[in-house]
Amino acid sequence: MTTTVSPSRAEQQEIDASAKWPVLVFLGSALAWLLLGGVMQLAASMQLHNPAFLSSCEWTTHGRLAPAAENVLVYGWGFNAAFAFGLWLMARLSATTLRHGGWLFVAAKFWNLGVTLGVGGILAGYSTSFDLLEMPRFVVLLLLAAYALIGVWAVTTFSIRNTENVYASQWYLFGAAFWFPWLYSVAQIMLFRSPARGVLQPIVNAWYVNGLYSLWFAPIALAAIYYFLPKLLGKPVKSYYLAPMGFWWFVAASALAGGSRLVGAPVPVWIPTLGIVCHMLLVLPLVVITINFLGSLKGSLGAVAGSLTLRFIALSIAGFLLAMLLAMVLAVRSVSAVTAFTQWESLRDWLLLYGSFSVAMFGAAYFYLPRLTGKVWRSPALTGVHFGATLLGIVLLVIGLAGAGCTQAHRLADAGASFASITDSLAGWHAFNSVGLGLLLLGNIAFFLNFIWISCPINSRSTASAEIPVPPALTLATKEGHA
Amino acid sequence: MSTPDKKSPIEGSKASDDSILQVHAKLQHTKPEKPDGYNATPLVMLGVMCSAIFLGSIFLVHGSIRFDPLVVTEHAKREKPGAAGAVALTRAQLGKRVFTGTCATCHQLNGQGVPGQFPPLAGSEWVQGNEERIIRIVLHGLSGPLKVEGHDFNNVMAPLGAVLKDEQIANVLSYVRQEWGNKAPDVEPETVAKVRADTAGRTTNWTAAELEKIGNP
Amino acid sequence: MKNGLTLFLGVFATLALSWAGLLLAAHKQLGALPQFKDPVEETLNPAPLSGLARQGALVYQDLGCATCHTQQVRSNSYDTGENSRKWGERAGYPRDYIRDSVVFFGSSRLGPDLRNVGSRQPEAENLYRMLYAPESKLGGAALAHGMPAYKFLFTERAIGSSQPSYKAVKLPAGFGPAEGVEVVPTARAEALVAYLMSLKDTYDYPTERGLNEPAPAAHAKEGGH
Repeated sequence: MTTTVSPSRAEQQEIDASAKWPVLVFLGSALAWLLLGGVMQLAASMQLHNPAFLSSCEWTTHGRLAPAAENVLVYGWGFNAAFAFGLWLMARLSATTLRHGGWLFVAAKFWNLGVTLGVGGILAGYSTSFDLLEMPRFVVLLLLAAYALIGVWAVTTFSIRNTENVYASQWYLFGAAFWFPWLYSVAQIMLFRSPARGVLQPIVNAWYVNGLYSLWFAPIALAAIYYFLPKLLGKPVKSYYLAPMGFWWFVAASALAGGSRLVGAPVPVWIPTLGIVCHMLLVLPLVVITINFLGSLKGSLGAVAGSLTLRFIALSIAGFLLAMLLAMVLAVRSVSAVTAFTQWESLRDWLLLYGSFSVAMFGAAYFYLPRLTGKVWRSPALTGVHFGATLLGIVLLVIGLAGAGCTQAHRLADAGASFASITDSLAGWHAFNSVGLGLLLLGNIAFFLNFIWISCPINSRSTASAEIPVPPALTLATKEGHA
Repeated sequence: MSTPDKKSPIEGSKASDDSILQVHAKLQHTKPEKPDGYNATPLVMLGVMCSAIFLGSIFLVHGSIRFDPLVVTEHAKREKPGAAGAVALTRAQLGKRVFTGTCATCHQLNGQGVPGQFPPLAGSEWVQGNEERIIRIVLHGLSGPLKVEGHDFNNVMAPLGAVLKDEQIANVLSYVRQEWGNKAPDVEPETVAKVRADTAGRTTNWTAAELEKIGNP
Repeated sequence: MKNGLTLFLGVFATLALSWAGLLLAAHKQLGALPQFKDPVEETLNPAPLSGLARQGALVYQDLGCATCHTQQVRSNSYDTGENSRKWGERAGYPRDYIRDSVVFFGSSRLGPDLRNVGSRQPEAENLYRMLYAPESKLGGAALAHGMPAYKFLFTERAIGSSQPSYKAVKLPAGFGPAEGVEVVPTARAEALVAYLMSLKDTYDYPTERGLNEPAPAAHAKEGGH
């Protein structure tokens, strides 16, 4: 046992114990929202190839159901999962316990209440009609108040850290924690409190959506990947000295890239041009991230196959790289001229939200849940089902959304094709995507069952306790010896 | 993957958090290995960064068309149009407003007038003829028998010299002289001012006979 | 980065740069974009929406029409896309949107672009039919895909002994309700259709037209940068 270099067992257990209940509450809410959102999204997808489905009730028409489903997945699942993971990881890497966790329960309650009211408001007809900002005004303060508590916790935990050094995951988490409330409150002010004039509204909207994906979901996914690669491979991140540069380039370029969602739109042309330039500048962080991640994974396929978390992390890396590449390609004007408003754009966003972020959160949960609860997974078979269904569902959806996007792009540009015929030719692809979504939902149900069994104290008799092995110290390359 | 026994081991991690932090901090500040004395990566990265910013700036300026808020396409002319950006309207275009408000009641919007009552302006030889005559008509009105395009009229047109300014008279006359297929040059405000000055003392309407004596048709 | 302060300043600067560079700059340029006064007709363009159309915009918003329909005529694909489908006489300009209290750009064309639907559909009747029974407009009942029916925006009531309502929607055979029943739009449907009929960007702003004229291809090479 290399006790000399690893922190004493009590300390790490202390951290995990302090984080246990807040994290479980956040993850539990996240999974509940994930299932609900999955069902809603599946229903909305079915409405695309069968418009009569649920269309007689005002609350479930596609125009309300689809945005509601998206908001559930983003604000219900996405944020809660990010809170669970972020708080735990920040505490771990700062080597300090999560203090006064009771306040986090209040925060969780407020956040979930806000999302419930918001989604209910969308279904009832109070939608604001802005992408990912559809939730009506009356929930804004609730969400911001809840977030304030959580954000302050994350930032405070970081500031009272016991460690000398700061790791890449902490930069990304800190950044994300800081950026979101500003993105959200500025968007709310400029769109609703003192609404901007005319096309400024979609410009603010594009800025917000880009910020949400690039400065909240992407950094958290990256934080997870940067943490779990060395953690589970036992070797440092390859070419780590490039990582700080990658971080700053990524955030600086992403910050101004929102305009690429408005290529060709009736807005001053410098805005989409700026977005395109910034997207092209993202090639640099893309290269750094590829070197860091794929370089670390090189030669470790066996380790990946043997580790549940690493499999999800590997999938997350693939999703992230693909999402970034796609975003860069779709920003180009000549490409955007045919692909704008097609399912290609849905694919670009969905790949980041689900194919990268959500998958990373699954992997992270498979790692920290046994450590927080002290139990093992009751059904390893279900973990296999979760991974398999997720992998297959993602593959199907990538093919399906790309296929639908291609069909749309090709036929929209063809003046001879009547719009009705376009809708007709997409029906098959929509059905294909519904199947993919159904698979993902099945996988998530499997995960949810495992989560209930591992976290619910009632079941403690039938779930075996976990023996958490002591992790060895990470060593550098043989020449330099260990830390 | 573990089987559900009592106290079963779970998938262990291969590195402690503390060591991850320490090792990577060291790596961050250590220059990378130099295989044969020279590592080109930092220079290559620097070169790539600089060219990215350089090319990006060129593309940004090229595609932003002076950052003009009213330009929405990157194919627009890149030079500022200068005065052409301002809208230059012809006298005829400006005169339309006056015509619609003042003249159209009788002469009709289509310039056809009302047969037997109000003479047409479209195709009228009076309108396209000597401008001195029509300026006088607008300034002091017209009464008595009148022949326009072969048709007879005998009515009164009220004087408008007190109601319309020189510029407005010039505009409306330019409009009627170029609308509905008429082709005649603009009337300038200076001409109207000169005529107004020349006929300053007149208080009665003109007659067609008097006007036909003025200048060439 | 050891220093938490450096990290914080950098993170703050990123967001500040993002907000200032994109939003503040755009706001300075467009925040007070005025209507354009036509020098000849002396009208202000774009003209504001009528009250009923404004209510219709709220219905458009609450039903989430922007989920599937866009309202932007693009400049980079006008000739290859929007023009050939008669979705607009010209590409859109920022000034077109200052009369909208909520701008529904949209981001998905599962349905056609609606920015100029008022020009395309001179008859309100077509729009009522589209809302009540889209299959009748989209090629018949055999076509099961496309826009859902919004029957809840209409009241189906028996004609009985009274006269049929002058507002009743005329539906082609096979798509109407049962015999002796008429379909009357509710106030929401009327407002929505009034809004849709008001959607036409026909005024050609001289300033924008002049500024957006394409650069002559011949000069692009000679003129240089």
